[in-house]
Amino acid sequence: MKIVREWCMYCGECAGVCPRCLIEVGEATITFDESSCKDCEICVQACPVRALIKEE
Amino acid sequence: MLIETDVLIIGAGPAGSSAAKHAALNGADVLMIEKKSEIGAPKRCAEGVSKDGLIELGIEPSSRWVTSEINGVRLVSPNGTDVWLTEDTVKLPEMGYVIERKVFDKHMAMDAARAGADIMIKTLARGLERKDGHVIVKAERMGEEFDIKAKIVIGADGPESRVGRWGGLKTAVKPKDMESGAQFEMVGVEMESDTALEFYFGDVAPGGYAWVFPKGKDIANVGLAVIPTLTEKSAYEHLLDFVKNCPTTKNATAVELNIGGDPVGGILKKIATDNVMVVGDAGGMVNPLTGGGIISGMQGGRIAGQIAAAAVKDNDFSEKRLAEYGKRCKEEIGDSFNKYMKSRDYLESLSNEELDSIAKVFRETEFEKISTSELLRVLVKVSPKALLKLGKLF
Repeated sequence: MKIVREWCMYCGECAGVCPRCLIEVGEATITFDESSCKDCEICVQACPVRALIKEE
Repeated sequence: MLIETDVLIIGAGPAGSSAAKHAALNGADVLMIEKKSEIGAPKRCAEGVSKDGLIELGIEPSSRWVTSEINGVRLVSPNGTDVWLTEDTVKLPEMGYVIERKVFDKHMAMDAARAGADIMIKTLARGLERKDGHVIVKAERMGEEFDIKAKIVIGADGPESRVGRWGGLKTAVKPKDMESGAQFEMVGVEMESDTALEFYFGDVAPGGYAWVFPKGKDIANVGLAVIPTLTEKSAYEHLLDFVKNCPTTKNATAVELNIGGDPVGGILKKIATDNVMVVGDAGGMVNPLTGGGIISGMQGGRIAGQIAAAAVKDNDFSEKRLAEYGKRCKEEIGDSFNKYMKSRDYLESLSNEELDSIAKVFRETEFEKISTSELLRVLVKVSPKALLKLGKLF
């Protein structure tokens, strides 16, 4: 489960590193297919502005 | 709604526009879609291009998008030791421009349109499936969902590179190969020269480097890229530290923040499969050492566009027909990338102290020309560790 903070800039880096291709980034939208997420948190670490937070 | 086209290009950056232009010039029916409302904005780039690269691509520099002409380089080690390489002291300059991507990208898209390509903006690709030898791409524009039927799809969707994966290519970027970048465009930057690119190495940017790229007068792109697995801090936090501590930027003011990923793992092993090709960042067409990818992406785009159009004429969109693309990209773009990748690994291994001592030796060295390979050639001469790791390459 990810939380996207309001300062996300939709750069798409998280989508590029997601090993399961679960993140869709539009011009000002970001959507996770959470049903298939394995909580690897690679996206959380890659974010240049720490806009992704894992929610327990 | 169903739109039919020969070649669909997803993403209107320079690589996508180059593919669109050359596919159209070679007779294919071309549609390029872009998810954003403005092509070129926001930039995710330090905006440096080489003059040679533009010449090779046949692109005439325009005052509309050239912000400054570069004739030198300043390399700065962690303790502030700097090495100047300028046209005055070095023969055979291989220099370039700092451009305005917002304007440049749009002009490249206009070139594609003038060559005959259609463009749809604010149009997001959401998925892809193959059907009867064609590809159906699910798209969405301003709330309207529709299908695009194409013979060939070219993924130019940047570091996200989802199109390739939908098509069965392994385009996911490994964490160790994805640089995380952050940049301010700043005013009031106190550069020692407004025609030299500045590079800062060491702890300021673990796994990458920091840069100051002048854009005329006191304006510059001030940024850095890090490998996230090598640092606890985010790229943005590193940037704040850098700007505060660097003498060049400590009095400057930011007017823009840019962020994004840069895939530095080199050209992917496989960049074409049945009906699907990837170009630019989506295919890893980025110099693994410098992170630069405008020219190489556009070269890849040109090759992809030509081959896509030829495949349409042959009515053969199979992996076998498109495999020529991977071969030509490796020959024409990726040839040097392997050694730059090894150089990146080497640079990553250097401590601040080692970087300082190399800078000290560099200051007393005469360079024959300004280029990445020349720098590495000299590095191999002055550093035993570099000789050991890179001696055979440069």
